[in-house]
Amino acid sequence: MANKWEVFVMDLGELAEGKELELTIRTLNDGLHKYTYQRAKVEVSSKLDQFADSLQVRLGRGQLSDRRFSIRVIERVERMPARYL
Amino acid sequence: MGKISAPRNNREFIDACVKSGDAVRIQQEVDWDNEAGAIVRRVCELGEAAPFMENIKDYPGFSYFGAPLSTYRRMAIALGMDPASTLPQIGAEYLKRTNSEPIAPIVIDKRDAPCKENILLGDDVDLCKLPVPLVHDGDGGRYVGTWHGVITKHPVRGDVNWGMYRQMMWDGRTMSGAVFPFSDLGKTLTDYYLPRGEGCPFATAIGLSPLAAMAACAPSPIPEPELCGMLSGEPVRLVKCETNDLEVPADAEIIIEGMILPDYKVEEGPFGEYTGYRTSPRDFRVTFRVDAITYRNNATMTISNMGVPQDEGQLLRSFSLGLELEKLLKSQGIPVTGVYMHPRSTHHMMIVGVKPTYAGIAMQIAQLAFGSKLGPWFHMVMVVDDQTDIFNWDEVYHAFCTRCNPERGIHVFKNTTGTALYPHATPHDRKYSIGSQVLFDCLWPVDWDKTNDVPTLVSFKNVYPKDIQERVTNNWADYGFRGAKK
Repeated sequence: MANKWEVFVMDLGELAEGKELELTIRTLNDGLHKYTYQRAKVEVSSKLDQFADSLQVRLGRGQLSDRRFSIRVIERVERMPARYL
Repeated sequence: MGKISAPRNNREFIDACVKSGDAVRIQQEVDWDNEAGAIVRRVCELGEAAPFMENIKDYPGFSYFGAPLSTYRRMAIALGMDPASTLPQIGAEYLKRTNSEPIAPIVIDKRDAPCKENILLGDDVDLCKLPVPLVHDGDGGRYVGTWHGVITKHPVRGDVNWGMYRQMMWDGRTMSGAVFPFSDLGKTLTDYYLPRGEGCPFATAIGLSPLAAMAACAPSPIPEPELCGMLSGEPVRLVKCETNDLEVPADAEIIIEGMILPDYKVEEGPFGEYTGYRTSPRDFRVTFRVDAITYRNNATMTISNMGVPQDEGQLLRSFSLGLELEKLLKSQGIPVTGVYMHPRSTHHMMIVGVKPTYAGIAMQIAQLAFGSKLGPWFHMVMVVDDQTDIFNWDEVYHAFCTRCNPERGIHVFKNTTGTALYPHATPHDRKYSIGSQVLFDCLWPVDWDKTNDVPTLVSFKNVYPKDIQERVTNNWADYGFRGAKK
């Protein structure tokens, strides 16, 4: 099943295509965990059929961008020190 | 002081508000994802009854109570007063109670604490089990804490602080929030925990009694548990946390326990705030790791939806900031006749009425106001004389526009302390809490001759003899006028 994700950026230039990015993304999948975050290595594309999952973008004050992307979540990244997990 | 019969918990408060017509029960299903927030926002903008939403999508058994104190009527109910009490009456009651002897809290047994009816520990801890709402579309996350108290304690001084610091759910065990460096918690973190790299125990209490929420919101120097006792006329019932030594209000609906991390931050925001804007961008902010959740059966989560006026943040903060400043100024012997913030200023403008008995009195007031603990929360002080009704914006505005000399009456204070939420501040100033403030001195100069230099106010009540005023007033309807009440 395709997942829906969202990211906050100050500038759309932060979403460079064709390279691996590390982003904080939140799930938009329906359910109790909607809007929870994770840090992940991802790849994004402005071609909406490039990857199975979709990504929508919000800007610095929560404005929804009209740009849409597809996204591949490569792996989850845990930044929190292990002593707090 | 006579017996106070204020609601002792959130449930008694809801019942009292429903009974008086100041709350409505909503039994149809409401979605936690935007819909509940939109209802509360519209209630605030229309001044409607508080919504008690009893059927939350995905969360059977939980409910929401929105806009709990966004009207003076509900504030009066919270204090156990007649809902029709006037603002000066409510203010006088607040001053009377908060000038009384502190009432220490009592600690009760866990078995008697409603907030311990359900306890989640270990792997069971998941904030998503609570109906955390998405308050505004476009917010950085679902906000756990919008009308609540974050409870901490200074480990050396022992000061207990209940503060209303917004808290966003980052994931099921992590929250992040805005804690300003000049706030009580901010000072505790920078004074003790951060230099030592130690985690700071915290507990977030949601669904507090309205007077506990009032205490958490008030910038009083009195510790909040005692302040709450003074407001309610009886000791607050506390109970010890499950995972740390903090004590929390036993009658709260939901308690979240954990630790503020000293060396790790996650993103927080943006969030619609009391200024009526989303001002601060997303940033890495104070991070709360959750170790336990306890809650009452059928718990009610309180929601404040801050935005354009008026919500309880604006109303209550304006109310308490004004009255706390009045206490401060009177403690310094300044002949103030009243202090008031119009909630619609989003608690940015302090209006002070004073008998202008000596030169520089407005400047003295501003210096005390801006230099106090209250100061970072507002950036304008307007001083008017004792003939101006500080509660009547028409009179205040007239005084401002006509008596404030552009050259001598406006004094700017630079490089003061501000908040990250000031919409007018630069991004740099917001990031570092750099402020600027201004005094509008609307007093006639004391060295003007009162007979020949000071202009005469031309108003019905000021220029006509009493007998003429009475004759005209009494004959008003006979003249054929229908609408005027004054």
